[in-house]
Amino acid sequence: MSITVIIPTILRPLTNEQKRIDMEGAKVSEIIDHMEQQYPGIKEKLVAGESAHRFINIYVNDNDIRFQDGLATNLRDGDIVTILPAVAGG
Amino acid sequence: MNKSLNDCTIAGPFQHAAAPFAATVFSLFYQFSTLGLKIASSGDQAADEMFSFAFKTPHTAPVNCVVTGWGGCNHAGMATENMIQAACGLMSVHGRSSGKIQSLGLPYVSTVTAALALQGGIAAALGQLRGLALSHSHVSMSAAALLSAAQYIADATVVTPAENLPPAEARHSTAPPFVSADGVIFEFETLHADPWLRFWMQLGISAALAGKGWTAFLLRYAKAVAPIPGELISALAKLTYLQISELCADSGLSICRVRTIAERVDNEQFKSEWLKGPWTFDFAASCQDMPLKPASDSLPLSGLTVIESCRRIQGPLAGHLLALLGADVIRIEPPGGDPLRGMPPVSQGCSVRFDALNRFKAIREIDIKSSVGQEEITELARHADVFLHNWAPGKAAQLNLDYSDLIRVNPALVYAYAAGWATDGDAHVRSPAMPGTDFMVQAYSGVAQKISQACGTQGGTLFTILDVLGGVIAAQGITAALLNRQLSRAGARVTSSLLSAATVLCSGDFQNRHRFFDIAVPAKSLLNQVFGTKQGKIAIDCYDSDAVQRLIDALSLAMHPKQENFQQRLSEILQSKTAVEWVGILLQADVPAAIVVENLSNLHSDSRLQSNLELGSYTKVTSPWSFQ
Repeated sequence: MSITVIIPTILRPLTNEQKRIDMEGAKVSEIIDHMEQQYPGIKEKLVAGESAHRFINIYVNDNDIRFQDGLATNLRDGDIVTILPAVAGG
Repeated sequence: MNKSLNDCTIAGPFQHAAAPFAATVFSLFYQFSTLGLKIASSGDQAADEMFSFAFKTPHTAPVNCVVTGWGGCNHAGMATENMIQAACGLMSVHGRSSGKIQSLGLPYVSTVTAALALQGGIAAALGQLRGLALSHSHVSMSAAALLSAAQYIADATVVTPAENLPPAEARHSTAPPFVSADGVIFEFETLHADPWLRFWMQLGISAALAGKGWTAFLLRYAKAVAPIPGELISALAKLTYLQISELCADSGLSICRVRTIAERVDNEQFKSEWLKGPWTFDFAASCQDMPLKPASDSLPLSGLTVIESCRRIQGPLAGHLLALLGADVIRIEPPGGDPLRGMPPVSQGCSVRFDALNRFKAIREIDIKSSVGQEEITELARHADVFLHNWAPGKAAQLNLDYSDLIRVNPALVYAYAAGWATDGDAHVRSPAMPGTDFMVQAYSGVAQKISQACGTQGGTLFTILDVLGGVIAAQGITAALLNRQLSRAGARVTSSLLSAATVLCSGDFQNRHRFFDIAVPAKSLLNQVFGTKQGKIAIDCYDSDAVQRLIDALSLAMHPKQENFQQRLSEILQSKTAVEWVGILLQADVPAAIVVENLSNLHSDSRLQSNLELGSYTKVTSPWSFQ
């Protein structure tokens, strides 16, 4: 299953400055594991324990994975995974 | 004791300010009264295009503090609160959530300007005591407004491609606050997705839809919009406020009713907090052998060290202002750096919204939860002049980094807490479960209700006005404590909060009810409106009947403003020319008017603003102060 992953600017130093990368995987966690193999160091920026970092948002086709099955969210061929650092104020 | 500067004097024509500066002078009067300054009101008639006052300590020459409408070299031209809100983009940011560009309906820029002007005077006096020959301080209303919008300006002007949260349908009617079946208007707050999801699942909302709502909810702080899906709004409208509150308690979501300002001004506790002022000072014992550090360059706080452990907006802005006054600010971040460094949009490896508030600080990555980290921070504080944090209530004690811990190693320290709710220790913390964030404090304080009344909307603004004012008030309190330290050789704890900043913003309402201070509350503008034109929008701000008459004459209206179709006729006439043409005509006729800036990336084209904007990978807002 081919999935497109959109990388935020802040993480592009880890992906050779690539904004979009194509990955294989049936779940978000698999995509992240495959990314880690190709771009070492990226997983620790995205994942803490069994879930995404509090300050990282991961979307599958514009849907936040926190409101699906988290890192176990299933993917379908052609899905777009967008990674975005959080925004905050207060 | 709350009065930090009661041996100092302030002098000026406070009872005779020109109308455009009346709100600034009123707020200034309130602020310096609560600092304990001796007031010398002169009978001079103040000039129309500026206001000035003198600040003096027993050991320094007077500092002449000048406030103008616009920045730049000649500071020329009429400026009013609403002209500045229009020209500096504040109306545009405020209007994003409602879809209607308009004034905040509060003397917001005037209040920020007053705080910065007083802080400039206090800082310059401190500079004198530290060896500098500073006798003039200047700040403009436009500089104060641009400072308030600095993060939004950074976001709008970054030259790298924008990174945005997934698009959410812009439906202005569904932005918070929310309304229950029994008509109660309220705000929600949570910093985590889990309580949000649990809450909506209880209402039968699908996880996917709750997720769309969360994405919209997150947009509040970054973009000043929050297009919550209509299904969520409809679900709430079927439940009473009590039912919603119970569901919030079960799910961990915080809720706050939008309270009226009358509820606050009539409350004895809030009245006493208003009388006390926005800061709580606790002064340490005087130690006469305290070494006094000379200034290291031309800025008044140069050579002083500030340790800052703050997140988000209010605390970092306070540190930023101290850095702009010359202090060396060391910012403590968690190992790996503050995650908000990655908050989009990013330029040159850092979030521009983050950079806008933190670009002059040195960074130390320390794990504040570890004993080694706490020892490291204590060691930094031992040699620092200021320690500033905005941790949650009670956390400082847990970390062994409370005032009592740090004053032990450094009795000369100014220990500052930029809080959400409390101004005097933990006694008045509303509820640990209610996060002290901008929108919750707007709802609780009466600010949201005042804005809604002025704007015809349901609640406050998604422009983070209290975070900004809270940061300014915190920096002002720290500067006052530093001057007091120089004068009396005593360190201090100074606490301020978003709620105390809201009280400063509403001080006119308290004064109208209690009439405690010897100054009149400025009258509201008689005509304060945004109009469409042939091209662009203009804001007109007629603060008195003479200005309204000049408007009528300039437009050859031949009508009385109380006539039924006056507004309609005015709107029709203004459609006949462009905003640029009208502003030229109206300013020529001495009618306060300004083009409404709808796109913040256009701000730099206004020559009156250029001295406070620095172009680059994004547009930076420069220091609001200049000293001589």
